[in-house]
Amino acid sequence: MKKQYGVSLLVASLVVIALAAVAGSGRPDNDVPAPPTIGTVLDDFKLPDTDGKEHSLKSLAGSKGVVILFIATKCPVSNAYNERMEKLAQDYKAKGVNVVGINANNTEPAAEVKSHAADKGLTFTILKDDGNKIADRLGATRTPEAYVLDANMKLVYHGRIDNSQKAEGITANDLRDALDEMLAGKAVTKTGGAAFGCTIKRVS
Amino acid sequence: MRLFLSIVLALALAAIAAQSQNSQAPSSKTSTDGALTSAASEITVVDLDGLKKLLQRDPKEARPLLVNFWATWCDGCREEFPDLVKIDDDYRAKGLNFLSVTVDELEDKRLAVSFIQEMKAKMPVVLLNVADKEPAIHTIDANWDGALPATFIYDRTGALVYRHFGKIKPEELRAIIDKTITQ
Repeated sequence: MKKQYGVSLLVASLVVIALAAVAGSGRPDNDVPAPPTIGTVLDDFKLPDTDGKEHSLKSLAGSKGVVILFIATKCPVSNAYNERMEKLAQDYKAKGVNVVGINANNTEPAAEVKSHAADKGLTFTILKDDGNKIADRLGATRTPEAYVLDANMKLVYHGRIDNSQKAEGITANDLRDALDEMLAGKAVTKTGGAAFGCTIKRVS
Repeated sequence: MRLFLSIVLALALAAIAAQSQNSQAPSSKTSTDGALTSAASEITVVDLDGLKKLLQRDPKEARPLLVNFWATWCDGCREEFPDLVKIDDDYRAKGLNFLSVTVDELEDKRLAVSFIQEMKAKMPVVLLNVADKEPAIHTIDANWDGALPATFIYDRTGALVYRHFGKIKPEELRAIIDKTITQ
């Protein structure tokens, strides 16, 4: 019985390795450019907020860094994170890291993004990425999706906010952990994480 | 390198084929011509091991495999589903296997069942039930971060030949399938 289990485990591992190696050698989805790698220093960019006023990322960043969150008005996963995102913004603003939201959904106009934010109590600046240019530049695919840049615009984290859509089930708070490590001057140990979310509605 | 990986995969498949079925085996069966069949009104719950088993191919009767990930809460997933049902109808007899995977929470399974009944889906549908989604996502594709909907095509050898995140483009998908089934 034990021997069979051992063989089964070995074989399963081989399958996973083989499958992962083959899959990983394929090209990324043609519609979405590959994201910048961790450690890349990002260029500044300008996007309008929901009133149409342009802002540069640098002007919105805190003294210690900035969190970019790709969000949506209609995605249930993004909406499940509304309170957590607002709390994150409040908690880390005091520590010198600002949160900036970006809505890159072609299907969600600025007026809708603005009223949704007011409705849900989101007080951080939300920019509108019409034409999904910045989403393309950052290789963002889904909502919610988080990027952390340090004080020098260096990418130190890219991925999920935490590991549970439902707030009660969180066992890994990846984004907060990364921010805390960055603020403590340490290297970020977990630089990203996968989670199910709604694809960004790109201009086709 | 690719040849080596194919051999490893084939050996792994052969070994697993020799294992006895465990209780996680889905209700879908493999008919004699290698097609996955199932009662469309059922959804089998699988864990990550169960999903991996479904992604394996019988080396004697390997058919190309289309895998689509969706959830009832995902608008794009719901919108593209009728096109996928059509593709299943058109290509099943031509040699394509199709596995539909919902990542709805277990407690929402009845919503998923209602949905596939409404869609008149005939392909096998499973619900992936895992506590931590990340290992599952990376197992399917190292380049996937969990965006839904997600569609993958594996050729007869098990190689990933197509991935698409977001609603499918039916014509593009059909062209890839045409190429894969004639290889």
